[in-house]
Amino acid sequence: MKQKKYRIYTCVFAVLFFSLSIVCWLKPADAFSVTERRPLDQFPTLNVNTLLNGSFMSKFEEYTLDQFPLRDDFRSLKAMVSKYVLGQKDNNNIYIVDGQISELDVAVNEKALSKAINKFTTIYDTYMKDTNVHVYYSMIPDKNYFLAEQHGYPALDYDVLREKLHIGLDYMQYIDIFPLLSIGDYYYTDTHWRQDCIVEVAKHLADAMGTDIDTVYTTQELDNPFYGVYYGQLGLPVDADRITYLTNDTLANCIVYDHQNDREMSVYDMDKAADRDPYEMFLGGSLAVITIDNPNANTDKELVIFRDSFGSSIAPLLVEGYAKITLLDARYLHQNMIGNFVTFDNQDVLFLHSTSVLNNEIAFK
Amino acid sequence: MVFSSIPFLYYFLPIVLLCYAVAPAKCKNMVLLLASLVFYAWGEPKLVLLMAVSVVLGYVFGLLIEKHRGTIHAKYYMIASIVISVGFLGYFKYADFFIANINMATGLSLPLLKVALPIGISFYTFQLISYIVDVYRGTAAQHSLLNLATYIAMFPQLIAGPIVRYTDIAKDLTERVHRFEDIAYGIRRFVIGLSKKVLIANQLGELCDIFQSSGEQSVLFFWMYAISVSLQIYFDFSGYSDMAIGLGRLFGFKFMENFNYPYISKSVTEFWRRWHISLGSWFRDYIYIPLGGNRVSKGRHLFNIFVVWFLTGFWHGAAWNFIVWGLYFAVLLVIEKFFMLKYMERMPKVLVHGYVLLASVISFVIFDAANMASAFAYIGAMFGFGGLPLVSVETLYYLRSYAILLILALIGATPLVKSIANRIMTAQWTESTLGTVLSTALELLVLIVLFVVSTAYLVDGSFNPFLYFRF
Repeated sequence: MKQKKYRIYTCVFAVLFFSLSIVCWLKPADAFSVTERRPLDQFPTLNVNTLLNGSFMSKFEEYTLDQFPLRDDFRSLKAMVSKYVLGQKDNNNIYIVDGQISELDVAVNEKALSKAINKFTTIYDTYMKDTNVHVYYSMIPDKNYFLAEQHGYPALDYDVLREKLHIGLDYMQYIDIFPLLSIGDYYYTDTHWRQDCIVEVAKHLADAMGTDIDTVYTTQELDNPFYGVYYGQLGLPVDADRITYLTNDTLANCIVYDHQNDREMSVYDMDKAADRDPYEMFLGGSLAVITIDNPNANTDKELVIFRDSFGSSIAPLLVEGYAKITLLDARYLHQNMIGNFVTFDNQDVLFLHSTSVLNNEIAFK
Repeated sequence: MVFSSIPFLYYFLPIVLLCYAVAPAKCKNMVLLLASLVFYAWGEPKLVLLMAVSVVLGYVFGLLIEKHRGTIHAKYYMIASIVISVGFLGYFKYADFFIANINMATGLSLPLLKVALPIGISFYTFQLISYIVDVYRGTAAQHSLLNLATYIAMFPQLIAGPIVRYTDIAKDLTERVHRFEDIAYGIRRFVIGLSKKVLIANQLGELCDIFQSSGEQSVLFFWMYAISVSLQIYFDFSGYSDMAIGLGRLFGFKFMENFNYPYISKSVTEFWRRWHISLGSWFRDYIYIPLGGNRVSKGRHLFNIFVVWFLTGFWHGAAWNFIVWGLYFAVLLVIEKFFMLKYMERMPKVLVHGYVLLASVISFVIFDAANMASAFAYIGAMFGFGGLPLVSVETLYYLRSYAILLILALIGATPLVKSIANRIMTAQWTESTLGTVLSTALELLVLIVLFVVSTAYLVDGSFNPFLYFRF
């Protein structure tokens, strides 16, 4: 009986093990991970050089991890064991509270803040010092500001972060938008804020820059589900978001120009709305230089925004108060190039970035 | 290549098992050797030659020693072989340590050699030395280069032990049997080892990394780190040993046990009878006893103990903290041997266990430290000398987040789980046909769940270093 037991034992395990192995060998390679929004590693180049220098081996390991059959399901299983069996509060630093997903960010990164301050200061000194532009800066709290401390998660000290920026950017006027925001203003599965929730923030920014905005919008919603950047990292099954966006005649008549790709576009890129990251529908996503001309403006005021991806959704809400808005992303545009796109003369200039970008060392070189 | 990796589990191992299964008996060692060379070359494409040279030299010296047995020449050959093996180890592992210390002591600026440390060199060198010394002591030399190379290079134990003695598997090299009982046992040991490594050691390692990079440390966080790193090292290394023993059994070899629940020891002396058993017994048989062991004067006995523990520490790494780690145990063992053991037998168990756990936790803080200054700072901080708060928000968060894992690890470090499993599997109800089927199904289910969940952790994670690869 015992021998039979061992035989069955071995056979059952062998069938499972070899089946999974055969699938690993035979499964065609996928090109892209939708949940992680990244291209997947492909079979590495195999030759004498790559074998001898070991690069084939290390790349092969990455390839096998990326191309593992049912990879997303295995990652979900891991996330579930981590959360429900081991009771771990986060999975790879991603946590979920009341349906809101966020990423732990526990320490003020002095190096990152210094890099941001130095970058902004260099830009200011090069283009704006001794000119008649009006320079402002504001920062957008990341979701942890509303979630972490209240739910027992470690959080970075936002007072320290703000204080360091206030000292470093004391030549600019600070516009505080923290009190105008709450966790409900952000997507559940993504890092970004919802455009339909930040109308008051836009009014406040405009007001602080001496511009009145009083616009009525129609709220639109995309049909397709929006799985934000945290969705794939969390690995747990959660409901998708829906992207909402605001329209009116002014926005419909704006002329948007993408200088990076030398093309005209719309405020809302509906091709990207149906793509992998629908949030990129707002002014076409990560683009270094964009201008928005408002032919119906009652003013000739211009606004220049140094921004990150959060700026894409709020910039359209500032259009009403300006004849032209120029959006510059200092992460992708070298400071020496800025003069090619903007002549600084009597504009409002707003440096608007999220705390997660400001506190990230690789954001500003 | 590491056992707990997707390339090993789902690409390398199935092919090797298939080739091994279909190969005729006389070719099985050849399959194992080729697989082992591929396994080694995967991590060290060029340094596989160094291992090959070591094996060939060991083979030649073994034959020469046997040929000249009983003459002074045999001794010369043994010494020559040991000098060459230790020379390789010294050059690749310790040269830069000596150069750096000479530079520091003399003010010279001798350039460092910066040679890559061949994976597993400490393990296969010790296996070769044990083979050569055993042949000198009378064991028959291996006349087949293939069989000797299979013994030294066998991938299950090649890079992180256990340090298998030639005499233990000499018979298996030529006439082993393959039984379903052994294969089932091998599967079970391998899956348990994989789970210990992936589900416990790697997760504790992440907690240690979080601690190291934390900007909000506290006294409690230092203790969490110290306990986590002690458990991580145990589960990492004993998990690897379980996998090695399991793999060995799949191929028909019976390797010696390497761990026996060291954290339940009632003295540090007992701890070292339960921790890295193959290394401890190697030093006993090839260093301590040849030096005279305890059958010498008290002074010489002390000297022998300190030499062995200095070497034990130094074997683990070319850094002062490893030497201090070894000597720290020497001091504790001497104190126990000459003073404390007789009192400890009468002391309350809680006190004795507490002492052993505290001693081992402090030892692993030294072991894991980047240098001695850091080790002293860590130990000081654990006892409140770092000027840190007792707790912090971050500490409490990670304590809550890792509490279950730490409790599971603490339970898993005792024989409790094994004892419960044995009780279930040998209960009377399992003796009937239905009972056998149910108990087999239950055991299989547990193993499959562990294997699938371990795979899920591997697919998701990137944190997967084996600590003992650096030795």
